[in-house]
Amino acid sequence: MSRTLHRRDLLRQSAALAGGMALGFGVPRVAVASAASWGDLVGRFVYAGTPPERKKLKVDKDVECCGKFDIRDESLMVASDGGLANLFVYVRTRKVDVCPELAESAPKRVTLDNRDCIFMPHCMTIWFGKQEFYIVNSDPIAQNVAFSPLGDTPANIVLAAVKDTKDAKADTNISATWKFNRAQIIPVPIACNYHPWESAFVLPRDNPYATVTAADGTFRLAKLPVGKLEFQVWHERVGYLDTPEWPKGRFEMEIKPGVNDLGTVKIAPARLEKN
Amino acid sequence: MVGLCLVAGCGWNPPPEFELNLEGRPRKSVSAEQREAIAKMLQRLFGTPDRPQVPDGVGLDRSLVEMAAGPPGGDAQGNQRGLYRRHCVTCHGVTGDGAGPSAALLDPYPRDFRRGVFKYTSTKAGIKPLASDLRGTLTRGVAGTAMPSFAQLAPRELDALVEYVKYLSIRGQAEQYLFEQVVDDEARLPLDLGQVLDEGVLPAARSWEAPERNPELVIAPGPRPPVDTPEALAASIARGRDLYASKDAQCVRCHGPQGDGNGEEKELYDDWNKPKKGVTPEQTAELERLYKLPIQRLRPRDFRQGNFRGGVGPEGRHLYYRIYAGIKGTPMPGVGPSPGAPGVMTSEDIWHVVDFVRSLSRK
Repeated sequence: MSRTLHRRDLLRQSAALAGGMALGFGVPRVAVASAASWGDLVGRFVYAGTPPERKKLKVDKDVECCGKFDIRDESLMVASDGGLANLFVYVRTRKVDVCPELAESAPKRVTLDNRDCIFMPHCMTIWFGKQEFYIVNSDPIAQNVAFSPLGDTPANIVLAAVKDTKDAKADTNISATWKFNRAQIIPVPIACNYHPWESAFVLPRDNPYATVTAADGTFRLAKLPVGKLEFQVWHERVGYLDTPEWPKGRFEMEIKPGVNDLGTVKIAPARLEKN
Repeated sequence: MVGLCLVAGCGWNPPPEFELNLEGRPRKSVSAEQREAIAKMLQRLFGTPDRPQVPDGVGLDRSLVEMAAGPPGGDAQGNQRGLYRRHCVTCHGVTGDGAGPSAALLDPYPRDFRRGVFKYTSTKAGIKPLASDLRGTLTRGVAGTAMPSFAQLAPRELDALVEYVKYLSIRGQAEQYLFEQVVDDEARLPLDLGQVLDEGVLPAARSWEAPERNPELVIAPGPRPPVDTPEALAASIARGRDLYASKDAQCVRCHGPQGDGNGEEKELYDDWNKPKKGVTPEQTAELERLYKLPIQRLRPRDFRQGNFRGGVGPEGRHLYYRIYAGIKGTPMPGVGPSPGAPGVMTSEDIWHVVDFVRSLSRK
């Protein structure tokens, strides 16, 4: 309890200082104050096996457009050195304090692009209160984007084809701005009813402490509140990434000011096989 | 058992109970403690099939819910009771799971109300139906399915059934929330009633109220292009045919170039059946075992038969709704603008497509 109060005080203090910064003084002091209350978590996930071959997907719709792309399975993305991409890493602890700087620095939107007949990116997280979900079509064919988040409005969106012209004004109805109304505890699958091979995942959360491992398997959760936090790791192949150390893909960590390094986490291939 | 017979008489049946929604979950994945916590919370909030309750803050008319609930019968004044069990339960089940005793024999299956998704509405994409939409389905029935018309019921009886469907639906959505929290997220037990209300019950109730309060969420068809002469009608049909086949609308993909429901897309499932679909037939068989009803494929409508499940409506107004907002819970998307979706057709375009679709069944 006293820790929470203490943290709230610090939060208020740094918010006040941030206000001061906006007026043009005290910049270094802000940095000091927030460095004391917030810490980053970094780490790298590695697939402890031979990188699997990505299966070519059956592309049998809109072949004249999509047939020219080498469309492959994205459900397990391993770099040549083992880096494991597309793992969702997020804070499971409820009602965490949020570093005010993040509200300023978070990009205003998270974009899902329909490009080259796939969704790009394949995995994304969104701080739904602050960020909008911008869905756009970049292909010369119509696209559909369908997802049903639990307890939230279902989406089944049609985006018009991008016209074969240099006139950008001709391209109407090629984008949508979606609003999530609640956090999800696991990522929401996104499908395209026109092109069954297309797939993506989005995780809406009520805080900025969610991310996806990059192509090299690394991740960073920036400016976490210091103190003990529980984290969740999720992968589309198996859901909660269950390991001997982390049952159901959950681990606790005492976040300290500065950088907290989880190090390299090796994941046995069997952990990513469906039972 | 013999003792029970002696005490209660052999015709005694236990009162019906709501069943937990374990669909899609291996039985052992939910502990007895979790099951009990969910069932108790639901009972505390929503009561039982014989004694339903409306949770605080949920805008349902309790007297209507009570009129539909309980065993069939009536009072001395001739007021009906137990309407749901009299008219609906054989197909839709006590819990509203769409898996009543006769459900397995039907294609399509009866609606499972617990997702809070209804196909035939006058509201925009993603938005709950109006009470009047559910009432329309009750009075029309659903053409081409086992759902009959209940037009012979008194207006208040229809209102009671609509209210009870909403009750079962809000209850079902609250249950989904409870499974998410208790089983998937392993929330600490016992649950906090206030939190369940705030996060699991009231948002569901508000989503039902939204289209009743906000006209922006209801489809308002633009003026109908005139089709009062044969030439004008022919022109509208021709325009509709082009739009139907257009790159942006994609109607042909499922309904086929001839509108016979024979498009290239065959692997179509609604949201109730999609979770039963695996990548291989073996996986599908495995998944099906976790559900009460086996997987059922969706067949896009064959327009030549003129058999429209959500009705045609005056001047084709209901068809307009279907094209505008899509069919909720199915792969059919809407082409009109809805919250979060730009839409790819104007109101006039949609009317032309209505005229084209109707023309196919006149031949």
